[in-house]
Amino acid sequence: MIMKEIRILHMYSDMLDLYGDNGNIEVLSYRAKARGIETVVEHHSVGTKDTDFSSYDLIYLGGGADFEQQLLAEDLQSCRDEIMKAYDNGTFFLLICGGYQLMGEYYKDSNGEVINGLGMFPYHTAASLNKNKRCIGNIIIEAELNGEKYKVIGFENHGGQTSQTEKPFGRVLYGNGNRFESKDEGYFDKNVIATYLHGPLLSKNPKLADHIIKYCAERSGNSAEITPLDDTLEEKAREILFGRLINLK
Amino acid sequence: MGLYNFLTLQFGKLIVKVLQLLHKGAGNLPGLILLGINKNILGYFKVDCPIIAVTGTNGKTSVTNFVNHLFEQSGKNVITNKLGNNLDTGIVSLFLKLCSPTGKIHADYLVLEIDESHVPVIFKKLKLETLIVLNFFRDQLDRNGEVETLILKVKSFLETFQGNVILNADDPNVARLGQANPENKNVKYFSVEKYKYATDKIHEVGEGKFCPVCGEALEYEYYQYSHIGRFKCPKCGFGDNEIYLKVENVDLENRHFTVDGREYNINNQSIYYVYNMAAVCAAAKLYNIDGDILRDTLDTFEVNNGRMEKFSIGKSNAVINLAKNPVGANMTIRVMNETGCEKELMFVLNDNLADGYDVSWIWDINFEVFKDVTRVITSGRRAYDIAIRIKTSGYDPSKIEVYPDLDEAVENLFSTDGEKFIIANYTSVQPTRMAVINYIEKNQREK
Repeated sequence: MIMKEIRILHMYSDMLDLYGDNGNIEVLSYRAKARGIETVVEHHSVGTKDTDFSSYDLIYLGGGADFEQQLLAEDLQSCRDEIMKAYDNGTFFLLICGGYQLMGEYYKDSNGEVINGLGMFPYHTAASLNKNKRCIGNIIIEAELNGEKYKVIGFENHGGQTSQTEKPFGRVLYGNGNRFESKDEGYFDKNVIATYLHGPLLSKNPKLADHIIKYCAERSGNSAEITPLDDTLEEKAREILFGRLINLK
Repeated sequence: MGLYNFLTLQFGKLIVKVLQLLHKGAGNLPGLILLGINKNILGYFKVDCPIIAVTGTNGKTSVTNFVNHLFEQSGKNVITNKLGNNLDTGIVSLFLKLCSPTGKIHADYLVLEIDESHVPVIFKKLKLETLIVLNFFRDQLDRNGEVETLILKVKSFLETFQGNVILNADDPNVARLGQANPENKNVKYFSVEKYKYATDKIHEVGEGKFCPVCGEALEYEYYQYSHIGRFKCPKCGFGDNEIYLKVENVDLENRHFTVDGREYNINNQSIYYVYNMAAVCAAAKLYNIDGDILRDTLDTFEVNNGRMEKFSIGKSNAVINLAKNPVGANMTIRVMNETGCEKELMFVLNDNLADGYDVSWIWDINFEVFKDVTRVITSGRRAYDIAIRIKTSGYDPSKIEVYPDLDEAVENLFSTDGEKFIIANYTSVQPTRMAVINYIEKNQREK
């Protein structure tokens, strides 16, 4: 029997793991496995040689502290061409917080130091030099997945203010988004979702997780049927938080 | 003392009196009001005794209570904030309650638990004699910011501090503070010898991966728990400190260890607790506490109050443990796994201001290591979030029951006999204790 499988590259999992973001990989593996799809998770960290970026269906980066982002910036730059090639080959990119910032033009951190981004996407980010000025709190946005509107809920905690995101991931219903009190959140395209949402992101947004699984399964040539799962717990969690946050407004 | 300060002090004492007459807790409010009208008020109290402060992410309340107990057993008059009001507002409230009309605080020792972020604020105004630093873990990131920010706050205070500093040598984030002031000759380290369940690889989420001095990846000989263990920087040698107090021959099954050749019994079976006791032993050594008093304290004293607190009713035994961050929760799961029999877990998760609104830390808890857990009950304001997390770790969802209402959860927990573990986070631990106590009182006769 040919096993269906999704290949995931988790980049800098030892450095970008601040807000439980590794949970996104757990959610993807859990939901893929329930559909008979295995996930193979491999790692790239500072100094890893010969990573074949294009061989993965999904490349994932989480969020980290300024200190760690400085440490890995150089390694990331050295992989630039291969990473761009993977994106052009249709590898899906899921980028959270620090991962989101590092793929833009540049990131100016809260100490005023500029880290060059990979420049894959047109946005850039600057953090306030006042370390206490951060966008922190629950956040709900409305995204569109294959033409269907879907509320995405998470938690944002970022000093960086991101500008010139031509194609935002969603419209902010509650919370801050890309900048203080902004209308837009994240960056979105056919094979990239970049966002400030932790929670972890996929834990309370099962349809978003399935959107990514479906894309990856199709890319790897497994036209797996994404059968519905029992999401009672997830739906109850969403219902309670929507009730608490959106109805407040 | 100027007239203004004198008057604000009298006003503050009045607030405390009124609150006490109304039977309201005066733990934080008087300090909050006074600091609002006179932010320098802390500097006008005159403390006539040495101050010992305990800080760090986990274990502050326990260590403070133990050190307080040591001094009390030695016949000393001690003032302490044993309920954990550890911000400047809590300290001002405590002082208002106990000071003379002119602001004098009289005792033999002040033993204070202090929040990491408030160490510089408070001890800019009060003369500190000894600072004990236990550990730094990720904790309530939305309130505190990154761990690094907190460490830098304590470090900036230590840069000009000349007093005693007692540091956990096995936590790189703490040990680095020993270099904050190279002039200070009073830096002392405590350490715990490798224990039976120490691992070669990091087992739970941790912070100290890179050398805080030179940025090189740290090399670990072993991990005791999280990032606590024997480490060294291969490049600059960071981590090689002379140990002032070493806990040896740790035997968790039989609950004892040795220090300086003497054997001590302890009250608990977790490595995390052993580290707290190591800090207590270091304080005892520094202050020449009588060996028998130390032995009796370690053997019999219990903080309770939701810290590995035991309850039993009928054929059920329950242990409640506070966990406000992943390391705390992972510790309880370790103890659960090291308990051989079948058991049930209840997890109560709130997201109130004091907990941090962000609950994503639960994804750093190692539920996949669960052994012999026959049922999970979840409760609290985020009961569903923790249920999703446990389900995703691979635990059978049909064995998870969600009851956001705490009384309902407790009732269902005790509907079966056997061993129960209850993990509750910061604002849920006291309501959970009350719910368990109420249940036991209500059902004692019937069972």
